[in-house]
Amino acid sequence: MHNIVARGNNLFAFLSSCTMALLAAIALSSFLFTPIPTGVVDITSLKVYNVNARRYRNRKQEVALVNFNLTADLNSLFHWNTKQVFVYLEAKYENTQGANNTVVIWDRIVRRKEDAHINFTGKNKYMFRELSTSFKNVPPANFSLKYNVMPWVGLLTYGEAARTSEPIEFPPVS
Amino acid sequence: MASNLQELLDGKIDFIGQQLVENLVHYVLVIATTMSFVAGFATQSLRVTFGILGTSTLLLALVVVPPWPMFRQHQVEWLGGGGGGGKENDRK
Repeated sequence: MHNIVARGNNLFAFLSSCTMALLAAIALSSFLFTPIPTGVVDITSLKVYNVNARRYRNRKQEVALVNFNLTADLNSLFHWNTKQVFVYLEAKYENTQGANNTVVIWDRIVRRKEDAHINFTGKNKYMFRELSTSFKNVPPANFSLKYNVMPWVGLLTYGEAARTSEPIEFPPVS
Repeated sequence: MASNLQELLDGKIDFIGQQLVENLVHYVLVIATTMSFVAGFATQSLRVTFGILGTSTLLLALVVVPPWPMFRQHQVEWLGGGGGGGKENDRK
């Protein structure tokens, strides 16, 4: 404390402690907000096609083509500690082998509060295929719109904004 | 000349000044951190939070780091070195 270097050092040492406490407080303050995002997932059509498998020319693979309408209001997810929100549409079903499958078929990164109103009509962004190559006899799938809030400081939080009212059946190959 | 430069770079302050600096740093930083959190939370903006913390730290550094005269008002008064009384005591 007697000379310039010691005083500067003392100031910044205590500043780092204060910053740590501030960051912890900011991270904890995220839990004070209880967001209630709302939305509707409407699957307008679900079709299954037989196509060539990606890697093997002679093998066939079934893929599902999903058309859907999405509306969601994610405004409440944006508070001072939100950097961005990752929104994704997930199909969840149990295949014929009894394995629980979760496939992300569409996603979007919402960076600003102004873009938090999602109104999307379209088809799946990522290929929706069944590893066992066939959707035959697969039980109906649930589609849900989920989100992942990425904060500036703190923990990632996950949640669900909307889901289809009832499971949707996979039609026969068309 | 060299000793003047050395003194300028050292920027020494007295003991009471050191106590004052230490207290200032603690109180001002704690208050600035609390204020920045409250203001940022109220305006829902992290920019406000770190803006307040950053500016107050810079201002505090300006107050606390240079050897201002207010930290040098209680210089230690050394006893005069003349007379050599100590040496006489040593001989006894």
